[in-house]
Amino acid sequence: MKEKRDIFSMITIMIALLVILFIGSAICAIIIGGFPNLLDAFSSKEIRFAFGLSISTSCISTIVVMVLALPTAYALTRTNMPLKKAAGVIIELTLSLPFILLGLSLLILFSTNAGKMLKDIGFKVIFSPIGIIMAHILVNLPYAIRLIRTAMEEVDVRLEFIAQSLGASKFKSFLTILLPMCKHSLISTTILTWSRALGEFGATLMLVGITRFKTETLPGSIYLSISTGNNSMAMATATIMLIISAVTIAVSNYINHSKQLNRGDR
Amino acid sequence: MQGDIKIENFSVTRGKFRLKNINLKIKSGEIFAVLGRTGAGKTVLLESIIGMYAGKTGQILINGKMVEGIAIVDRKIGFVYQDYQLFPHMKVYDNITYGLKMHKKSKKEQSEQAENLMQLLGISYIKDQYPCTLSGGECQRVALARTLALNPSILLLDEPFSALDPATKQKMYQEILNIHEKFHCTIVFVTHDFKEAQLLSNRVGILLNGELKTIVNSNELLTSSYEQDVEEFLGRK
Ligand SMILES: Nc1ncnc2c1ncn2[C@@H]1O[C@H](COP(=O)(O)OP(=O)(O)OP(=O)(O)O)[C@@H](O)[C@H]1O
Ligand SMILES: [Mg+2]
Repeated sequence: MKEKRDIFSMITIMIALLVILFIGSAICAIIIGGFPNLLDAFSSKEIRFAFGLSISTSCISTIVVMVLALPTAYALTRTNMPLKKAAGVIIELTLSLPFILLGLSLLILFSTNAGKMLKDIGFKVIFSPIGIIMAHILVNLPYAIRLIRTAMEEVDVRLEFIAQSLGASKFKSFLTILLPMCKHSLISTTILTWSRALGEFGATLMLVGITRFKTETLPGSIYLSISTGNNSMAMATATIMLIISAVTIAVSNYINHSKQLNRGDR
Repeated sequence: MQGDIKIENFSVTRGKFRLKNINLKIKSGEIFAVLGRTGAGKTVLLESIIGMYAGKTGQILINGKMVEGIAIVDRKIGFVYQDYQLFPHMKVYDNITYGLKMHKKSKKEQSEQAENLMQLLGISYIKDQYPCTLSGGECQRVALARTLALNPSILLLDEPFSALDPATKQKMYQEILNIHEKFHCTIVFVTHDFKEAQLLSNRVGILLNGELKTIVNSNELLTSSYEQDVEEFLGRK
């Protein structure tokens, strides 16, 4: 006998196909518009500069975000830090704000006397690449903390307690129990943070503007192309970003896959 | 004396549940059984002994010292949870040697100790498996081995026999007694089975709704007379 048609699965497949069609057509629009100019884009010095700046600022900001988010998420889930609830709220409050506004608030902050003092001692934020990194950090930190926190909440604290009863310090049990158990989430958080940094535009625009060969990132260069009416160049640049995305996804799948293998037959 | 437990006027609240005013002394080397219905607070009682809720009302003394004043590892208490709590990302062997690693024992010492314990508990054949691939009984032995690797002076076992078939149960009873003999530790274990409590322990405590109703010598468990609610729990009306 043939199995009865599973209507629920059919519906989910239909919806998934619709979603793919929707997202896929947006991607197609970019690739069709951008492909003919891809070589031009690659050979343009300006875009090569933007490529380098985007990749380097995103990498640096991602590292900083992860280094700050890990201990913060730990403090929020594993310690009796004072005002824990309030801290959680403050951190997540900005998640719903438009990035352009976050950039503006950084601009205001770094225009104060304290900000000017930082500039005098060499830490120039406004109109400098450091500003791009700062903008990424402000935009991504709450997001990364949220993801890591959720992952940490899912790990049973009793495991760490057992580890400590077996002689591990708090730090050792963090390293040997909590971190490896959140490994999957940490990898995907890193990748997502990085991708978001790469595509970040609003906050960066507000804080550092777009100056050719100085603070022009890939999204910034797309914006410049569009505003000068050069849509095909914009699409070509976007295609480059899509290629970066594809590579990122491939790498992250590879990392997760190799991990699956040495995890045994799960 | 090593392995001495003293609980004085101890209370702790967990959500809607309250463990009320517990007074209990367990001598070094004793085997003590905790009986009680599901939700009576047996697990909370064991967790209190290891010091998870210290600093609340009353006090818990291990070898005469307040439990919260002793570093967790120096309490020398081994805890085998009802659901084992094995480290899921480590193989059986690494679970068992975890404590030895944390104590910076040499690789050789780690492997000798682990081999001995795996032999004792009959789990050598699963040493390279991950916990998610084990049966309940196997998990439990691994958890036991992980704890025993550090020679604890107190062993807290939360329903150690509930996942086992009758034949394996009999074998494990003997193993626990062997372990007691070999490691000279105080054992507190939780069970639902009166016979099991009688067979293994020196004394039995009956916990009902967060209150330690009675403590009796195990050979008198079924012959003594009790308050109404304890009688009901024992099924004698
Ligand atoms: N973290 C917690 N939050 C809220 N309630 C809790 C918590 N921990 C335990 N409890 C409650 O305390 C009561 C006693 O729990 P405990 O686990 O000690 O029961 P038990 O006697 O071990 O039962 P079982 O035989 O089913 O294991 C239960 O009603 C449980 O819901
Ligand atoms: Mg329990």
